[in-house]
Amino acid sequence: MAKFGSKKKREAYIPTGSMSDIAFLLLLFFMVSTVFVQEKKFWVERERWPMAESIERIPRNHTSTIYVMRDETILIDDVPTRIESAEDVFVSTTLIRKKADDPDLVVCFRTDRDTKYGVMSDVMRQLQDANTLVVAFETQQRQR
Amino acid sequence: MKIGRKRKGKAEIPTSSMSDIAFLLIIFFMATTKFDVKEGIKIVLPQASEKQEGETQSLTLTEKEMTRLQIIADGQIVVNKEAPRNIESGELDALIQQKVKVNPDMIFKVITDREAKYSEMVRVVDRLKAAKIEKISLSTN
Repeated sequence: MAKFGSKKKREAYIPTGSMSDIAFLLLLFFMVSTVFVQEKKFWVERERWPMAESIERIPRNHTSTIYVMRDETILIDDVPTRIESAEDVFVSTTLIRKKADDPDLVVCFRTDRDTKYGVMSDVMRQLQDANTLVVAFETQQRQR
Repeated sequence: MKIGRKRKGKAEIPTSSMSDIAFLLIIFFMATTKFDVKEGIKIVLPQASEKQEGETQSLTLTEKEMTRLQIIADGQIVVNKEAPRNIESGELDALIQQKVKVNPDMIFKVITDREAKYSEMVRVVDRLKAAKIEKISLSTN
């Protein structure tokens, strides 16, 4: 005959043994993917970028950034330069070297929105001379 | 007095606070991580033209094939040979649609004055990109 007795209640618990493993995995992920952006002396703040709606995401690898300030100073590879005559070819010589290292190079412009187009035109002409033809104008997202 | 052998305690490293430390570090990295994906308008520039005589190929395009959008110094836009005027983004969208309706393969040439603001050029290129125009030509003057 079966014995009817009160069932023993098991204690409910959440296993926490693997908690530290998960934590360390997440930690490793963030350590590997973290990029500490260092402030540069010459800097075009995001608020100064032009606004646009139809923007696309450009992966960071294969990119090189050129900063163009309102006073027409150009910053490439942390070296400030200016284009005042046809002999100022620092931008094109730098880009020829970069293009040789990375044929899929995309040049990103971080330009102050009030910069005159003339300096951009000069830089783009040097890009053409360096056969670096894929460019991206970094913008802020304008809400529709 | 009873002199006996001392009991040896088991040597161990306390690991109970390990997950606390790990979570603190995670919070630090989560707070400081910045996925620096760039966002902007991508465009392909035309090849530099050869300046030597005889090597330059000239191509004449009619208004049905190419629309000139000339941005002058004060931000006004000259569409083909029309008079310069201020064109708001909405009106520019309508104009682009109208041109594409006439010719779906329409080429848009954006000519910007050296004294015009860079943001004006970006605004025009943005409207062209929004209208899914592939054939955009940027002038370097």
